[in-house]
Amino acid sequence: MLMGLLIAVAIMVSVLLTLQSAYTLFLMLYTWDQLHVQAMARAPAHFLPPQKSFTVMLPARHEEEVIQTTIERVMRAHYPLHLLEVVVICSADDIGTIARANEKMELLRRDGITNLQVAIFSDGPINKPHGLNVGLRSTHHEVVTIVDAEDDIHPGIFNVVNTVMLNEQVSVVQCGVQLMNYQSSWYSALNVLEYFFWFKSRLHYHARLGSIPLGGNTIFFARESLVRLGGWDERNLTEDADIGIRISVLGERVRVVYDDRYVTREETPPTLGHFIRQRTRWSQGFLQTLIKGDWKRLPKLEQRLLAAFTLGFPCAQAVFGLYIAVSLFMMFAVRVPDVVTLILELPFYLLAAHLIVAMIGLYEFADAHELKPSWKTPVVMTLGYLPYQGVLAYAALRAAYRQIHGINNWEKTQHVGAHRQSGVVDTKTQPAATA
Amino acid sequence: MSPPFQIDLEQDGQSGRTEDATHPLGTPRFSTSPVGAPGNGLLLVALVTGALTHGYHLFLYPLYITDEGIYMQRAWAVIRAGALAPYTYNYDHAPAGWLVIAAWVSLLPRQFQTFGDAINAGRVLMLLVHLASVYLLFQVARRLSGSTLAAFAATFFFNVSPLAIFYQRQVVLDNLMVFWVLLSVCLATSDDGRVLTPILSGAAFGIAVLTKENAIFFIPALSYLLFGQVRPRLNRRFARGLAMFAAVAIVSEYFLYAVLKNELLPAHLNFNLSTPPTGHVALLYTIWQQLHRNQGSIVDTHSLVWRFSLGAWLPKDTFLLVVGTASTLINLVWGLQDRRRRQGELIAALLASGYLLYLMRGSVVLEFYVVPLIPFLAINMGLLGRSLLQTLSSRVVVQIAAVAVLFAALLIPIGHSGGYVLVRDEFGRVVPHDLYKLDLTGLQAQQLAFIRHQIPPDARIIMDEEFWVDLHDSRPSYRLAHSHFEATGDPDVRDKLFARDWTNVDYIVMSSQMLDTMQQSNTAHQYDWIFEALNHAQRIWVLQLGGIELEVWRVQHRMSRKRSSVRHDSSGP
Repeated sequence: MLMGLLIAVAIMVSVLLTLQSAYTLFLMLYTWDQLHVQAMARAPAHFLPPQKSFTVMLPARHEEEVIQTTIERVMRAHYPLHLLEVVVICSADDIGTIARANEKMELLRRDGITNLQVAIFSDGPINKPHGLNVGLRSTHHEVVTIVDAEDDIHPGIFNVVNTVMLNEQVSVVQCGVQLMNYQSSWYSALNVLEYFFWFKSRLHYHARLGSIPLGGNTIFFARESLVRLGGWDERNLTEDADIGIRISVLGERVRVVYDDRYVTREETPPTLGHFIRQRTRWSQGFLQTLIKGDWKRLPKLEQRLLAAFTLGFPCAQAVFGLYIAVSLFMMFAVRVPDVVTLILELPFYLLAAHLIVAMIGLYEFADAHELKPSWKTPVVMTLGYLPYQGVLAYAALRAAYRQIHGINNWEKTQHVGAHRQSGVVDTKTQPAATA
Repeated sequence: MSPPFQIDLEQDGQSGRTEDATHPLGTPRFSTSPVGAPGNGLLLVALVTGALTHGYHLFLYPLYITDEGIYMQRAWAVIRAGALAPYTYNYDHAPAGWLVIAAWVSLLPRQFQTFGDAINAGRVLMLLVHLASVYLLFQVARRLSGSTLAAFAATFFFNVSPLAIFYQRQVVLDNLMVFWVLLSVCLATSDDGRVLTPILSGAAFGIAVLTKENAIFFIPALSYLLFGQVRPRLNRRFARGLAMFAAVAIVSEYFLYAVLKNELLPAHLNFNLSTPPTGHVALLYTIWQQLHRNQGSIVDTHSLVWRFSLGAWLPKDTFLLVVGTASTLINLVWGLQDRRRRQGELIAALLASGYLLYLMRGSVVLEFYVVPLIPFLAINMGLLGRSLLQTLSSRVVVQIAAVAVLFAALLIPIGHSGGYVLVRDEFGRVVPHDLYKLDLTGLQAQQLAFIRHQIPPDARIIMDEEFWVDLHDSRPSYRLAHSHFEATGDPDVRDKLFARDWTNVDYIVMSSQMLDTMQQSNTAHQYDWIFEALNHAQRIWVLQLGGIELEVWRVQHRMSRKRSSVRHDSSGP
């Protein structure tokens, strides 16, 4: 009786995981399957004259190692300085980052660049969304964007967004973000490819349906839209996903621009511990957004289903982790009919398909950025694929545990600037022609 | 004034080559534009023609054959017993074909009895599959040739050739495999630029292989087609990789099934063909055995391929085989000479050549193995015909007239040669082809009726497979009726029910040529006890028509070597 129940549950979970996995595969390959979407997602070939003014918010916490380079790259962007204002946002206790930011501000002033300020807050909570709200209140330019402390933005990115916003009359533009240090550790290639598929493919489908969890940076908002929304939710660990859903509820069209040349470059977390903590935060943030329920106000059923599918994804990952454990048990302890076994192994085929897609994605990514993966990379990817899924499942379970127990602190991800080190060639940085 | 939005041609995301991103799908190699009203009209004519030529007389001609019975029997096992075969499944064929048949039968209101004899249920499926194949063949031929007329010509031969009709009416796996291969080719020639389409093409091909393994001989042509088709596309890596994965994943299910049954490898890893392993059947041993079967190649004039081509295939349609093969060779030469401009010819020729090589390679060939060749010979004829017509005249009206004259000449008898639909009988009269007038399965229906009326249900019967489902599925069930293959091969039937002892046999139901088959198969004297039973049997029923002889024998357990006729129903030819 108990065994029968176990088998029935296993079949149900197996079929659901197969469907979930197949749909995820579809989302990962959406723009390769619909090539016209990929073509339309690219940056304009010709830029319009700069017209929009930008506020660049740079929230930072304990980012002494990378903050100066990031500021430098923003200030040296190919855009008129009078149309840019940059604000580094820190909590008062982060003396080190504040000192490094002030130091850089002083250096820039000597060069006559004065549009940088450091905004310091001393009230809580000490997290990114609170910092962003502080930054929003202390700035004035027409378009607000977020750049994380370790980001390498492309110098032409403001021209891209200026042109898109003027041409297409959109108030929100999400540009591509890409992890670059794909050979740093056993998990980095898989992490890099998650970003690759997310920004190059999946987000376009979300945008088309009008149900999009936005990325954490290189997202450009018309200030009035942000003000109308009341800024970021300071209790949410993934304020970016949350604000994306709320913007979708408002019916604002989000334009996703993905162009390999213009992606914002980031790094994978330096250690497995940091990676787990980062992924835990994301999973918990998605759960918080799911529980909060703003997505239920999306007007169309397909939008609500997509939002629920996306925000509930950590649950699927947690189930997948348990599924692996149950599978191992059943493999050695349970004898089931052959047809049942054939059904139970369906998720394995989807897992294999995901691995193949990831493998091909590696070479797509490498080609796009003119990199040459070593022969070890695909081997490490293959060997690390299941452990990586296990890590994601563990992070999802950890997130669920934290959420159930009301633990909501912001676990910071350390940045060491690995994407700025050797092996990652900064290519194709020449801006397109300005009309 | 803002400049128009343009796509940067240098941002293709691929290193080493600049591609026209305004045509990100790549330049279409084959014509996939809508066919328009005339094209749809021709397609409709092709479908109606196929329905008429294959549907009319479907249940009456040709004679039910053993293989039809085997696949219906296995579909029966899927539905009634949840197994791949009612006996030990020995991996002689992959099961996708009869799984499809089982799915079809399970949808029918009275399942196996819906259309009378059980095999008829399968023949209706063959008709539907043929119509689907006609549609696909039309699309494939049109894409490869760029000509609706060529597509129509291909479907004409596929629909009307007596060779095609004869075997396409039969419930054989090859017909189902042809459908999956055509679907795969049709998807592979699509220029929609999607990743999904090559994946589906790969999946369809995987199912084709699991339907009938000789589909693998289409791999070279299909790979060339698919890889060439996606080569200019930005998504080529995903298209290629996932198409292959889809095909391999589906085929791997078969091997996985064998692993689960602990039947992948033979006991003690014994691959010795002269002393087969005992204990359990094994997929890899069966494959090994099939790879080593040899019954003569094309250079051996006594081989089966010569026997069937000269004895069975050419008499049914010489024109299709000769002109089709010649067209294939010409297309192959033209295609190799100018791959860019004659891509369609090259692919059509490769598709047909791959299978031709399989038939000629030297192994077991059964009569209906010609089935997968027919559509691809037809495509080659369509493509060559289009080229010849273009040299004849550039005017469409003239081309249509030439095609119409050719088709009319093929349909009716000219001189002493028979047409596709009308033939001359021995008195010189023009009559319909046997396909449309002879009732052969009616003879088998009489034999079945005799069994039901004269033989008790608990009798131990040795027979052929064509009545198996009828005798096991309808009440009263003849659960001790088994085919001679199982009586000599399946341990349960051979050793427990009959114990290899002729006195345990009550009746022998002889189908046409069953005796020949048993004699040819008696290489290890495994049939000796059945022949002994026959020697002790009395013929209680016989029916003859032309070369067909159906019999029922009752074994006389207390009588020695007495063979005499009791009842003789003779239908003279």
